[in-house]
Amino acid sequence: MSGVCCQQVAIEFASAAGPVKVLKGVDFEARAGELTMLVGPSGCGKTTLISIIAGLLRGATGSVRVFDQDVTAMSHQELIPFRLAHIGFIFQQYNLIAGLSVIENAAVPLVAAGTPWPDALDQTRDLLNTLGMTPHLTKLPRQLSGGQQQRVAIARALVHKPRLLLCDEPTAALDGKSGQAVMTLLRELAVSPDRAAIVVTHDPRVYAYADRIAHMEDGLLVKMEEPAGSQFAASH
Amino acid sequence: MIRIAFRILMHDTAKYLALILGIAFATLLIGQQSAIFHSVVQSSAREILEASEADIWVMKPSVETLDQTDPMAELAVNRVRSVEGVAWAVPYYQAIAQLKTADGRSKSVTIIGVDESSLVSAPRSMLMGSLADLARPDAIVIDAAGFSTIFPDAPLDTGAVVEIGQRRAQIVGISHVGPSWSGLPRVHARRALAVEMARETINPVSYILARAESGRSAEDVARAITHATALQAHSSNGFRAQTQDWIIKYSGVAENFGITILMGVVIGIAIVGQTFYMFSVENLRQFAALKAIGVANHRILAMICTQALFVSVVGFCIGIGIASLFFAIFSPQLTGGLRGMFMHPAIFAGTGVFIILITLVSCVISVRRVLTVDPAIVFRS
Repeated sequence: MSGVCCQQVAIEFASAAGPVKVLKGVDFEARAGELTMLVGPSGCGKTTLISIIAGLLRGATGSVRVFDQDVTAMSHQELIPFRLAHIGFIFQQYNLIAGLSVIENAAVPLVAAGTPWPDALDQTRDLLNTLGMTPHLTKLPRQLSGGQQQRVAIARALVHKPRLLLCDEPTAALDGKSGQAVMTLLRELAVSPDRAAIVVTHDPRVYAYADRIAHMEDGLLVKMEEPAGSQFAASH
Repeated sequence: MIRIAFRILMHDTAKYLALILGIAFATLLIGQQSAIFHSVVQSSAREILEASEADIWVMKPSVETLDQTDPMAELAVNRVRSVEGVAWAVPYYQAIAQLKTADGRSKSVTIIGVDESSLVSAPRSMLMGSLADLARPDAIVIDAAGFSTIFPDAPLDTGAVVEIGQRRAQIVGISHVGPSWSGLPRVHARRALAVEMARETINPVSYILARAESGRSAEDVARAITHATALQAHSSNGFRAQTQDWIIKYSGVAENFGITILMGVVIGIAIVGQTFYMFSVENLRQFAALKAIGVANHRILAMICTQALFVSVVGFCIGIGIASLFFAIFSPQLTGGLRGMFMHPAIFAGTGVFIILITLVSCVISVRRVLTVDPAIVFRS
């Protein structure tokens, strides 16, 4: 089942030297039940592509469908509840709210969707326990290591059970061991039959966690492959 | 989301305190200086406020303000009484005279001549003695604050003999009156005695105090008096406003207090505006993350407005509390025009509204930045 389907997605930005084509007609697919990695050199358009998929960046041509809903046809007002209900984000810099505790940070999407705080905290507690964060529930983000902060970000991205998970360089700010631990958790918790996960990464050490890898270069998708030695690709 | 707004606000303790203290300081400057200004301007029309039996003041056309008297002849009182709509009219005399104590000390006083038969314009509140004693020869009533200025070491008491304008006078009562613009002690006496003390011989009437007949407006009757007598007549409220306007325009108090109040406004806008703006900009990434997750702009707006409203209310309460404490502690100890100053409820409310406005303006400037931030910045490292 196709989770995300991009066809001929192109976008250009204005610059002092004239318009720059960042994406030049990308065809990309991320299936439900899989973890798809988007890899390629800096500036090749990976982050731009997931920004368009998330509906955060508008003005692209072509078509982007997320679980059969045409994101490019949605208005700004329609995209806000769509993101809140269907997309989970994990950012390179975690972007946790400094004044909120671990459990409160993880509960933000539920609260934003209208769940009362006590219920939202209850729903979040189990997930944080699975992520090994129970001893740290009341700590603030600055009291946590990078790996622990990324676990909170994973909880925040998954707590509202989104159908699409978008991860931007989730291991870039972590050491190798923490990065592997985060990817293991992502693999265990994020991949489910009715959810598609897209991970943008530079880090070849985590390629083994992917079901499929999409290679981008200079605004184009140049290759889609199943990674050699993947413990997961063979199952699909 | 309001809980998140509070947590974001209070997490950066230094900036949170800077915001609160900035608002408190601006409130203190604006509220306290406005209240003092109001008290000073009120005092400029003290005699008008206290002669509340009369609702019309009549004077020569040359008079612009209460203290700038241009005495009239006795005959003018009858001309006013003859105007249709006037219920009654009495002469009023006011002058500055020199008071000498038995031990030779000298002090300028405002002497007020009260109409003997009606006692209109006599002090309303007596701490010692009785107004009826004014009928005694040489009798004067002096206000309590003035008594303490003239006899700094003596307890309030009647019986002391003084000399005013080379005329013997005996203190038969101590009154409680509000502070006047000049800050001079106020001495009430029968008008004939007051005129003698001020050594006025030709024109013994400073003002004519009148009352409109029941059912007639003071303004209409004042216009009729002006028309019929060629004198200048105003309702009490009109003359009070004219006197206060004159003080504001010519005395320099508006400039003096205005500069300090303006400082409060500038401090308010500069500290509060800049700190709040910086605060929002520093949290831009957190707001962008919320927008990316799917929090709508109107909810972000509500969060920032809640933060602004909260800091402005807390800062205002601290600032206005300090200002009120200042009045409670120092007001009874002050002398002259500042004695009895207080914070008028309108100033309290006005300062509050102004402070909230300053904060909301800062908030609007900050909000523009937050609302227009591209949520996609969360994908940038």
